[in-house]
This record gives sequence, structure tokens and C-alpha cells, in this order.
Amino acid sequence: MSDIFSFNGAEGTGWSQPPPISEDAISTVPISLRRADLPRWPRASEPELVRHYTWLSQRNFGIDTGFYPLGSCTMKHNPRVNERIVQLPGIDRVHPLQPEHQIQGLLSIFFEMQEMLEVCSGMDQVTLQPVAGAQGEFAAIRCIQEYHKDNGQSHRNKVIVPDSAHGTNPASAAMCGYEIIEIPSSPNGFLDLDALREAVGDDTAAMMITNPSTLGVFEPEISEAADIVHSAGGQMYYDGANFNAILGKTNPGLMGFDAVHYNLHKTFSQPHGGGGPGSGPIGVRGHLADYVPSPVADRGEVEDGGATGDGYRYFWRTPDKTIGKVQQWHGNAGAVVRAWAFYRRYGRELELMSEHAVLNANYLRHRILNPESDVREKIPAMPVDGATVDFVKHEFTLSMSPLKEAVGVSGKDVAKRLLDYGYMSPTLYFPMIVPECLMIEPTETESIEVMDKFAEDFLAILSEDPSVVTTAPHTTDVRRVDEVQAARNLVLRHPCEK
Amino acid sequence: MDQLPNLGREQEMLSAMGLSGIEDLFSDIPEKIRTDGPLPLRPPQSEEEIWADAQRLLGANIDLDSRPSFLSAGLARNFVPTMVGMLATRGEFLTSYTPYQPEVSQGMLQAMWEFQTMISELVGLPVSNVSMYDSSTAAAEAITCAVRVKGRKATQKGVVYVSEFVPPHKMSVIRNYTQGGGIELRPLKHGTDGRIDLEAAQEATGSCAVYVEQPNAFGVMDEGITRLKEIIGEHTALVVCVDAVSLGIMEAPGKYGADIVVGEGQPFGIGPTAGGPIYGLFACGKDYLRQMPGRIVGQTVDEDGLDAFTLTLSTREQHIRRHRATSNICSNETLIALMGAMHMAMLGPEGLERLALRVAAATESTKSAMASIPGVEVVESNNSNFREFVVELPGDARLAVDYMDRNGVLGGFPLGDWWESMSDRLLIGCDERTSNSDIEALSTVLSAWVEGVSK
Repeated sequence: MSDIFSFNGAEGTGWSQPPPISEDAISTVPISLRRADLPRWPRASEPELVRHYTWLSQRNFGIDTGFYPLGSCTMKHNPRVNERIVQLPGIDRVHPLQPEHQIQGLLSIFFEMQEMLEVCSGMDQVTLQPVAGAQGEFAAIRCIQEYHKDNGQSHRNKVIVPDSAHGTNPASAAMCGYEIIEIPSSPNGFLDLDALREAVGDDTAAMMITNPSTLGVFEPEISEAADIVHSAGGQMYYDGANFNAILGKTNPGLMGFDAVHYNLHKTFSQPHGGGGPGSGPIGVRGHLADYVPSPVADRGEVEDGGATGDGYRYFWRTPDKTIGKVQQWHGNAGAVVRAWAFYRRYGRELELMSEHAVLNANYLRHRILNPESDVREKIPAMPVDGATVDFVKHEFTLSMSPLKEAVGVSGKDVAKRLLDYGYMSPTLYFPMIVPECLMIEPTETESIEVMDKFAEDFLAILSEDPSVVTTAPHTTDVRRVDEVQAARNLVLRHPCEK
Repeated sequence: MDQLPNLGREQEMLSAMGLSGIEDLFSDIPEKIRTDGPLPLRPPQSEEEIWADAQRLLGANIDLDSRPSFLSAGLARNFVPTMVGMLATRGEFLTSYTPYQPEVSQGMLQAMWEFQTMISELVGLPVSNVSMYDSSTAAAEAITCAVRVKGRKATQKGVVYVSEFVPPHKMSVIRNYTQGGGIELRPLKHGTDGRIDLEAAQEATGSCAVYVEQPNAFGVMDEGITRLKEIIGEHTALVVCVDAVSLGIMEAPGKYGADIVVGEGQPFGIGPTAGGPIYGLFACGKDYLRQMPGRIVGQTVDEDGLDAFTLTLSTREQHIRRHRATSNICSNETLIALMGAMHMAMLGPEGLERLALRVAAATESTKSAMASIPGVEVVESNNSNFREFVVELPGDARLAVDYMDRNGVLGGFPLGDWWESMSDRLLIGCDERTSNSDIEALSTVLSAWVEGVSK
């Protein structure tokens, strides 16, 4: 094990820096505020650190390592030119408060992205400020909250979410101060319209829903649901986590939504980076346009061609009734620029991306659920499709309950065994409405061969000796990790004692 | 299209499923909500064309390194060691996601545990999470966290005192995050010397929390803050937002009673990058642990007893606790925190101290130079400043910034953009890269502008 705190070089080992431009700078700090002891950070040279972090990277699994079918997270390939672009000084070395005329290129990219997202989602105004999907949800629900207030509807204090919703939906609405009404789904994860009719009322502020649902199934009665919520005076919020499934085929505006967030780190391939950064822009219909977080990029025609040569001067605009800010600058601009580069690759053919995402999901589902008879015969119990529909969209769910009942192998066991085969596990035990759930999303960037091999290996695991599967993984850097001990005996930092 | 491995092989896949066309797969979308025709967007581009457009558009921006720059205002024009970018963008880090499967994620988990350790050491508190979005959301969630912990015993129910010098854009984030919880924000007053008014701070006794910045938005290092905890008492949380670099020479707030420390992580790890992605620091005492937002990594063992790392205390989080979660945060800024950890490890203790001294020296030299310009007055010049200080000009600072801009100097931030009452004031930001020639350039253009105004 490489322990960074065991690097114990002489004082001052590490990165070389020029001296301060004047002497005795410490005298500027009031004596009572001067630091007594320096932090016990490692003292390491560059070669030691390069090796340490290379070693750590080799103990980490990314899309670049192998197939990453983590449902709901859209782990697609991250084109490398996008990374090269954000190293340009025109983004990396730019301050958000620079005068507008100094950042016309950045503003034009923001404007182009706003317009593109508006077109793709059927919304009237996009802001790129929220820096994660959950923050987009929060920002949009805040807009809806202020809209209701301005219309004398501040008594509307409830937000409705289906029981299959992402956990961020109820958490975001609760942070805005809303009470959450959870409604049950009907089989296949479809909306139960009767339950919805019963739930809505004069106190309904909004409904939050993702479509396709977290089961990967398109909700056929979405327009009816929107009608029910709208006639009760509520607003419809679209969780764009699953946008990868429908781009160019339908859009939240057509479905009757008033507000939506997009996950640029999912649909538009901003890399997930071990947990973030993300980017969660929101789009709204006209009646909410004045409320979005400020500023938004805007432009006006100019005669001299403008700094970017397209005939426009770009500027930041503060919407009239803005809720203010949810991040102190303009959002994750670097993520926006990466997403812009991704979009430029597809342009008007973005629809191809969704087609292939859906094609791949259905193909893999078919391969797993319809094995050759010799393979099938060896499997004690096949998984059950989380939704018995003809077609899924970009992902699908499997219940591993039958195998658990038959031979005691749980969904978690299968997930851990997949690690031995060199795959990342699918999303485990979500949504909760599917027992022993594995949620699989191949994305559009996996080849037929990868999916065929995954299906073959997945089915092979189902017929393996249960004692091998329930004790998996066997070949990873560490074996199954004791999470109970981690929570019971909290060790949240290195002791830093020599 | 080089991004789609199965392009041109659709029929093969469809036949395997017994289908004839891709449209079959979308037949479940009702006709009335289908998009009408292709997306009205631009044609696709090749990598070369995208790169060329990116160079052209981003090349139209003026970057901070291309001229003397004194614009800081909460972000740092830093220099990130080359190693950081090269190693953090290794695909195994870059293209991974939240380490839900610890058995194949030990690398990122260990790196984040090391990050937690370095932040804990830096701020003098035992617990750190693996990042918030930025300092503003870290500040906002520190306040809601403090109210959850201190709310019950508080005599001023739901009340939090916030330094009146918190800039409006940050205050706006705090307002958005706190309005839903029935939290009442009251201003914590500063005296005429710009420091916290300790007498007025007594009002905060019995409230849930006090939020201050050290140094504050004007760069003032405030000794009084070290006495604040004593004044407000143990039932009121002290939340301190820091300039992370300053802690190379300034005392760790944990040592003078801070219960929660937040801050901008950006100076360690990444350039100002137009405001994001950056990352927020969040560290706290043990009493706050179970109410804190964000991911936390713990050390444990695997089945064979080997040391291992895993995400822990997840029962606070939205994917488990849903609407009762301590926060809605899911995606965070782990990759940028990793870059920060690399940068901090590269500096080491003495490297951090030197970095802080470089910023302090640049601040002091720039401040002296400004004080010697007739017509320019350093505001509260007796205060000690780190990174930022304020000057009063004989006219609207926005005009001064425009003039300096036309003469090739990014002269600072006009405070009138934050507070109209401060329209003649300029916020000047310095950093480790501020050189004597930068300071001369600033002095020259600002003197010229002042002369022009005086005529």
C-alpha cells in the first residue's frame, strides 16, 4: 500500500516556488492570528507523488477501464478533445467577473448551449448556472415557488413525486420547504393516474417526474398526468436524468412540462470524475422565464461583426424576477464548454445518439433475457424483467429475486461477481419498487461485441456455484469491504503521527 | 460519426430482436407528443473543426495571464503544478463515478480520504467531506447544518447572524438555500474599522449560528474573530469561511473555536475556469458529523482483514433518506477535489507557508504602491490584508476599471457592482503571481486615470 503520509522528506521538499516579492510578509499577519503549527501534510517529491497517484489510478475503475453499465448515470465515453479544449487559457484562465467584452467567446458558447437545450427540450429559457442535476431540481422548484407566490398561490405547499423517483427529487423539494407526497406506481412503473387524481389539490405546487421512468420505460399517459396537475393549478417538473433516451424523438415541452433540468454530465458526456463535477442547467416555459437564476447569456446585433465574428455582441442579462443565484458565479463553465464540444460533434444528428442508446439497451436486454437453451438450462432461476413491456428506452431493470429464492444468490452477489469479470456493477437496489434490482444502462458507446460478451458472462454467473458468487469478488484489489465496521468505527482521516 | 460503435450495424441488432426498424423501439411514445421532423440545429462537425472553433471562440476571450491582473474577488489567479492536470485526467480517475463499489474504487476512495485528512489538518477540525459545489453552497449548507444541530437549544429560534460584508452574489445563494427551512438571517454588524463589531455580536448569543469570513471579502484579517466563540457561547455554532491559502500563515479556525469551516478550494488544484468547476470545502467538529451534507470516506477492512476504504454514513444522504436527507447533493466536485489534494500534497507544509507568504507579500507591496498615489486612498489602511484590499477613488471605480482595461490592465473589481454605496471603491486582488512590474503597471494606469479625473 502506498501511504502518502509516510512520505517524509526534509522540510521544504515538494514543489519549487519563487520567493515572495518582498521580505517579512509574515509581519502583515496580526500576531494573535499567526499559525502556530503547520498542517501535517505529506513532504513528498514530484517523482514520489507521480508514482503514488498513478498507483491509485490503477486501483480505480472508469469507463476507460471497461464496461460501466451503471443505470441512471449514463456512463458514456468521454471524447478526449473536450478535455483538451478546457485546457485552453480562454476558459481555464478566465475570471467570471471579467468585463463582458473580454469574454465574448465564452458568452457566445453559453448562448449557443442555451439555444440548443431550448430547442431539444421545447423550453423557452435555459440558464446554465446549476452545477449538478440535484441543484437544477432545486433551482427550478425555487422558480416555481416564487411564481406561485407572485400569483397569490403561496398556500401551495406540496410537491408530488412517484415512489420510483430519484432520491434527489424529494430531497430538493424538501430543501425548498415543501412537503412531499409520494404516490405509488402501478406495475411496470407506470404512473397511477387515479392515485395522482387523489393526490392533487389546491395545495399542489408541483409534480416531479422523470420520463422515461427509472425503470427505463416511457410513460404513455404523461400528457394526461400533466393535464391533471395543471388543472389543479400545479406545475410539472421534468427530471432530465434520462434525457439520453428521447432526444430528437419527443421533448418535455411536448409532454406538457413547465420546467426541466438537464444533466450535461450524462447526456452530453461531461466526465463524471469519481463523483463530479456535474452540470445541471434548467429550462423553463415562458411563464417561468423571468424567474430563472441570474445571469443568463443574451445578445444583440452589432454592425462591426462582433468579437466572435457572428454579428452579435453578447452580454449577461438578469431576468426580471430572478430567484437570484444557486452558485455564486455562472455555473460549471468548464462542463458547459465540454458539453458544447460534444454537441458540436453531433449537431442536428443528436437523435442518432438517442437511437443508439435505446437500440443498445433493448439489444442487451434481449440478449440477457433470451439465452440459448443450453445456457438457459444451467441457470437455476432467470431474472425477472423489471417491466414487462415490449420495448424499454435507454436502460432496463432486472429483479434477481428468483435466483435469491432458488439458490440464495442476491442481486448484490451478482453485482459483486461482475467485478471479477472486469465490469462495473449495474446500479444496485434502485428503484426500490423492483425487488433485488439491477439497473443496466449500456449507453450508445458500447459495441455489439462488448454487450454480447457481457450478456454471456452475466448468464454464466447465474449458473455458477452459489458459494463462488456469494463470496465475490475474488480478484479485485480488495475483497468485499466491511461497510458496517466503517460506519460503526469511524476512521475519517489519517492520524498523521510519525 | 466516430462516437457510435454500432453505426451501420443497426439491422444486425434489430434482426436479432425480430424487429425491422429503429422506429419500432420508439413506438411506445404517443404520436401526439412526437417531435415533428429533425432537430433544427447546425450540421455535425469533425474533431478538427470543433477544435478550430474552440480555439477561435475561446481565443476571443482575454485570459488573466495575458496582462497584469488584479481581479480576484473570491477566486485565485493561481499556478497549478503541471503534474496535477496530467495525473487527474488519467482515465481511471476522470471517467469513474461515485465509488458505490469500493472493491474496484480503492484508488479514488483513498485519494479522497487523504483529501479529508489534509483539509482536516488545514482547518483544525476532525472531519471533512469530499467537497461541495463551491464556497457559497458550502456556506449555505453549513448554516442549515448548524441550525439542525443547534436549533433545539437555541433561544433565538431559527436565527442565524451573517456578516454584513458577505458579497451579494454569495448572499443570494445563502438566501435560496435557507429560505425553505424557516431560517431567519440577520446581519452581523461590522464596525467603522471594517472588522466585526464584537459588542454587537453579543446579540447573537442564543441564536443557532454565526457566519463570518476570515479574511473577509475585502481581505481584512480580523483578530476579533478569534474571540467570537467565547462571546456567542457553546450553544451557538461558529461558521468560518476561509481563504484556504491564507491558512499557511493564519491560524486554523478550529483552534479558535470554529464549529464548521467552509471555503473555496479552487486556489488548490484548478484555475479560475470562468467560475466552475471549482469546489467548496466543508469541515466540522464531531457534533456536526451526522448532520453534515455530502460524501464521506471511511477506512475499514475487507473480508480478509486488509485495509480498505468505503463511502460511509450514507444514511444521511438523499439516495437513502430521500426527503429527510441532510442535503440534496449527489454529484459533487470530486475530480476537482482530487486535483486539490494533488496540489496540496505537492506543496507540503512549508510549500503552503511559502505560497501564503507570496500572496501576503504581493498584497502588502500592492497596497503600499496604491497608498502612494495621490488621490487614491487605501480604505482602513491600518487593517491587515490578505489577497484583497479596497481603495477609494476620486470617481466611479467602474470608469477607472474601463480606463485601465483600455490600457491593458485588469485593475480590479468595482465594488459598486455589489453595493451601489461603494461605487467609488475598487477591490484590488493580489496573488502569488503578482510581480513588481504588474504593480508598476497598475500604479501607472491608475495614476493616469486619477490625474484625468482631477483635471
